[in-house]
Amino acid sequence: MKKMIFLTALTLVAFSSCKEDKVEPGTPAVAPTLEVKVQPVFGSTSLQSDVAYTTAEGYEVKFTDLKFFMTNVSNGTNVLTSAALFDWMETGTSFISVKGDKANFSSLSANLGVGATENHADPSAFPNDNVLNIAIANDMHWSWNPGYIFMKVEAKVDTIPDGTALFDHNVVFHVGLDVNLQSWSVSGLTWATMNASTSRATLKLDLEKFLQNNGQNIDLKTEFSTHSASGQEALSLKVIENFKAAIGKL
Amino acid sequence: MMIRFLACIFGIVVIVYACKKDVTVAIQTPYELKIPSHFPDMIIPADNPMTVEGVALGRKLFHDKLLSGDQSMSCATCHMPESSFSDHNQFSTGITGGIGTRNSMALINLGWQEFFFWDGRAKSLEEQILEPVPNPVEMHLNWKEAQARLNANDEYKTLFVRAFGTNKIDSSLVAKAIAQFLRTMISGKSKFDVMYKYENNIPFDAGDQAIYQSVTASEWAGYDLFKSLNGADCFHCHNGPLMQVKKFSNNGLDGAFADLGYGKVTGNPNDNGKFKVPTLRNIALSAPYMHDGRFQTLDEVIEHYSTGIVQSPTIDPLIEFAFQGGVQLNANEKDLLKQFLMTLTDYDFVNNPDFKAP
Repeated sequence: MKKMIFLTALTLVAFSSCKEDKVEPGTPAVAPTLEVKVQPVFGSTSLQSDVAYTTAEGYEVKFTDLKFFMTNVSNGTNVLTSAALFDWMETGTSFISVKGDKANFSSLSANLGVGATENHADPSAFPNDNVLNIAIANDMHWSWNPGYIFMKVEAKVDTIPDGTALFDHNVVFHVGLDVNLQSWSVSGLTWATMNASTSRATLKLDLEKFLQNNGQNIDLKTEFSTHSASGQEALSLKVIENFKAAIGKL
Repeated sequence: MMIRFLACIFGIVVIVYACKKDVTVAIQTPYELKIPSHFPDMIIPADNPMTVEGVALGRKLFHDKLLSGDQSMSCATCHMPESSFSDHNQFSTGITGGIGTRNSMALINLGWQEFFFWDGRAKSLEEQILEPVPNPVEMHLNWKEAQARLNANDEYKTLFVRAFGTNKIDSSLVAKAIAQFLRTMISGKSKFDVMYKYENNIPFDAGDQAIYQSVTASEWAGYDLFKSLNGADCFHCHNGPLMQVKKFSNNGLDGAFADLGYGKVTGNPNDNGKFKVPTLRNIALSAPYMHDGRFQTLDEVIEHYSTGIVQSPTIDPLIEFAFQGGVQLNANEKDLLKQFLMTLTDYDFVNNPDFKAP
């Protein structure tokens, strides 16, 4: 009988030794998530990648790529995130998702672009989850001293209104360089409650305003390319100033 | 006393069997990757950690002809070290004489890739590895038979126990082992790497200063052309320490597409004619070039971007001189550009004994 008990006990020990440690159910506090979305629009219409939009000059334009960096996104001393990357084609309207208290972020200010110190740091040295890490920044970094591309707009344009769709005119705006860094801000931000733990603020990126910014218009037929190179300073500055103006509350 | 001893033995046996089905106790040794200082971290899948035993097994499998139908081909047959682990033939020939339609891609720095094959249809290295073995125009061995061969092989059973703690071999474990091996194939010690560090103010490693001193004026001039908007304008797609960006691009090869490339994967006509942007590392060794291997030499490639660009609806807008057929380099500029491209050769990589057949 003793032997039987001994064997039974051993068997029980054997099986129990394979169990994972039980974790007592607790009641951890759920940290609230703050999401910032960016909705690209053309005037009052949500932007779609395969749809042509008509510019003030009568051109038809299809936007194929929209990306930008914001850094030091904060409200005074409250920092929402140190860096965020918007990539319309890859991640849609998603922009920022962090833990935080929405009461601290009724207003936001940020750099449109990357500040000089980080702009010229080793792009591989940022933490793996930092959007400035070259593995995430990808084609938003020039692999030499100028550093990051702050914002990027690419499009295909039909400049001849003859009724025949021919989108053979390429638009490429890549703006970077320290001198083009912009300060951006928005106030009176509204945070919508998505669920018990998530609040969301939505910004818009208005491409119509990007092309027509209070008289500082961009004519895509004649102003269609900048890579922030020498000789392209004026267009680079106009592009990023208009881009800054195009980002605001939805 | 004897009964108590037997009971203890029984207990131990129960403990072992209670903890496994086909799992045998084995201790794996973590493998430490040698990541160059100017590279980002390599993100390793949580379900396939790098181990010394896994890498060794993957290396053996990569070079083993057992994984082809008639045991005449291994992975290395179409990914030869001297060709920077690609195939010097335009298209690779399978065991039955079948010929593929795309050039074999060079196996370099795959641990940083997020999609695989020229059309990006595989989203992980492990997924990619599962394809060539059963492909009729490649190794032409169905996985059921491949698994049977491996499970009948005592040496492999031992190696799989050491690598994964099981002697039940299946295709997913084969893929995991080969993926581990491929992730060790890191190229980051070319002349270009020192130029990149210099340009980005990244501290030199031991030996870099001497390499930096050896960079010729012509190589620097070629690099300037490479990244010049009004020069060769290559940098939009070939950028960063990996010398590629993660994207698909139509680089102006054709006006109509015999091979839809990425468009066939996505079903989106806007992606037709687009293919994965490859790395330029070891480009001097990995001829022929392009997804269909149409260019035999670097000179032909340079001529394509200089004068041979063909317009099409999906052409990459970053090929800004497409309207004039290309960037129109003169003979001297072509030569300088080629000299820069040669700086991307990493001889330590292609001659690394750890990558050759065990």
